[in-house]
Amino acid sequence: MHEDAATNLVHQAGEAAAHAAEASGHSITHMMMHLILQLAVIIIVAKIGGYLFQRFLKMPSVLGELASGMVIGPYAFGGMIDLPGIGVLFAENAGFAASAELYGIATLASIILLFLAGLETDLAAFLRYSVVGSFVGLGGLVFAFVLGDGLAVIWPGNGIDSFMDPPALFLGVISVATSVGITARILAEKRKMASPEGVTILAGAVFDDVFGIVTLAIVMGMAKVSMGGGEVNWGEIGMIAAKAIGFFVVVTSLGLIFARKITSAIKKFKSTEIIVAICFGLALLLAGLAEMAGLAMIIGAYIMGLALSRTDLAHEIEHHLEGVYNILVPIFFCVMGMMVDFSVMKPVLIFGSAYSLLAIFSKVVGCGLPAFLMKFNLRGSLRIGLGMLPRGEVALIIAGIGLASGIIDQGIFGVSIMMTVITTMLAPPLLVKSFEGGSGLRKEQDDGSEDIETIILEFPSRDITEFLLHRFVRALQDEEFFVHHLHTEQPTHRVLKDDIAFTLIQDGNKLQVNVPQANQHVARMILLEELLSLSDLLESTKQMKGLDEMGSDLMSGMFA
Amino acid sequence: MNLKKVLSLDTVWVDLKADTKQGIMEEMVDRLTAAGKISDREAVLQAVVEREEKMSTGMQNGVAIPHGKTDAVKSLVAAVALNKAGVDFDSMDGEPCTIFIMTISPLKRRGPHMQFLAEVSRLIGQASEREKLLACQTHNEIHELLTGK
Repeated sequence: MHEDAATNLVHQAGEAAAHAAEASGHSITHMMMHLILQLAVIIIVAKIGGYLFQRFLKMPSVLGELASGMVIGPYAFGGMIDLPGIGVLFAENAGFAASAELYGIATLASIILLFLAGLETDLAAFLRYSVVGSFVGLGGLVFAFVLGDGLAVIWPGNGIDSFMDPPALFLGVISVATSVGITARILAEKRKMASPEGVTILAGAVFDDVFGIVTLAIVMGMAKVSMGGGEVNWGEIGMIAAKAIGFFVVVTSLGLIFARKITSAIKKFKSTEIIVAICFGLALLLAGLAEMAGLAMIIGAYIMGLALSRTDLAHEIEHHLEGVYNILVPIFFCVMGMMVDFSVMKPVLIFGSAYSLLAIFSKVVGCGLPAFLMKFNLRGSLRIGLGMLPRGEVALIIAGIGLASGIIDQGIFGVSIMMTVITTMLAPPLLVKSFEGGSGLRKEQDDGSEDIETIILEFPSRDITEFLLHRFVRALQDEEFFVHHLHTEQPTHRVLKDDIAFTLIQDGNKLQVNVPQANQHVARMILLEELLSLSDLLESTKQMKGLDEMGSDLMSGMFA
Repeated sequence: MNLKKVLSLDTVWVDLKADTKQGIMEEMVDRLTAAGKISDREAVLQAVVEREEKMSTGMQNGVAIPHGKTDAVKSLVAAVALNKAGVDFDSMDGEPCTIFIMTISPLKRRGPHMQFLAEVSRLIGQASEREKLLACQTHNEIHELLTGK
């Protein structure tokens, strides 16, 4: 079936739009006006939807944005709104829910998303941190891929009969990418982030990300060969895999090696805005190159992020792109939601349910089994499997790429969305429940050294707590710890080095440190030194003579 | 972490002679100077004393961890020493201190400085381990005990 669908739908949509514009005598200005109105509706509705989901359902905002898209899409209300002089607000275009220009903006958003994901990846932890984590990540990947792909093959009547069929490969790779954001939030809320399970999940997720991107690269390569009408044989697959992995390894290594050189060259511009913009330009460049090399654009963007993640610019770039991210990325998810055609969902609902069930099973078993074999008991393994359960952003992006390139049809696209939504909604309650009860470690492993100790320091004001948290983080970095800021509701930092792992959480005017017994010495000592350094600071403010005087200098002359 | 990288045979001593807090700090800094680990004795001593003035590093159960930061050293300098008779070090539990762990770290340079201190403290966290340490008769024995693991 993929051969039929092989024509590039986006291209078609673009041409169709252009023709439509010509035929109706609409100028390009008119098309842009339509686009801008669409964007206006999308941004407002997606943001509100995201807010409602987060605020009232305690669900990640991405689900709300997705749902908003489903509501305003051409297959729902969007197709009914007919504006005078403009036409249907969101019309289907040659079988594609978004116009080429709108899809272009969504694509840009997906590149930003993956670029930032790469930037936030803790590569050092990936390279040296957790053995268990790597097996957990790899186990989940293999199980999810094989089961997702295999289900498509054995399912009757869908025209997929080979493991190598591009749609089957896509179903495999879509179910791979774990989105650990929601798990991280729950672990932080339940104070389990420094627990052995929490550490393993977060390490596993890093592996999952990197391996997932490599797998996508391989699948894209294979899909493109078979779409070109070529028969994919094992020799060729080996070549494609080697090429994909080669591209990833070579470009990432080059990036890491030259990142400092490149950034120090860019830094000559002095202005942070210019520096950040150029780095983003480089991400777009690599995205384009990756697509040219037969991979996907997001792979290039992710690699550029990864390469820059270890430079001192990483934080600046993240910080400056945050605003763009907050506006553009919801557009992407909303557009993905718009593409869900409910009328084609009916025949695939059972397949979708089976696919979602397998997606749950594959992570629970695929991640749980290595955990069980290494040092966890059943309870701990289940926690880890459930923690790796939610799929999210990356799964949606891959599904979007599949749909846009005609590799998967709207039915399979809908199934992918369904799986993403189900796994993301199920994970939080199941995870919270699984953390009830005792230790998740096996008896022989559980020597009490993993007991988490909570150190709470209360300060007179939130400002002081924030200030000290900041200093503490810097002191830890000076001690060569890797400190990772997690985007959770309470400011949370994860601290890692070799086999030491703990978390810092700012809770109002309290600073909370969750640290395993075995590592509490170092946490306590560094905390103490920072507290003592405050006294130096106080001393120096006393020497700042005449704060009053400075103040009156500032105020004098204001009412002359 | 690997204590071997920081501790050497000429920075572990079983026989501190000083019997006052100030004396212990001076003696350890002197010995580090003699071992060629530091060149600017005054700067290092000042850093340690200043830190001590903020809050005593005499902990509990006979352990003291005098330390300081100064750019007079280029990398972490550390020593572990015993004074079996015990010295009043203004410790938290008021008991005299017998085990002294000293670290001097550069102000600006990154490195696992506090982590070293924490690691040694963790090693001697148990009473039995401290007894083993105090039973050491030679510099060699201490060195082996701390870096053997």
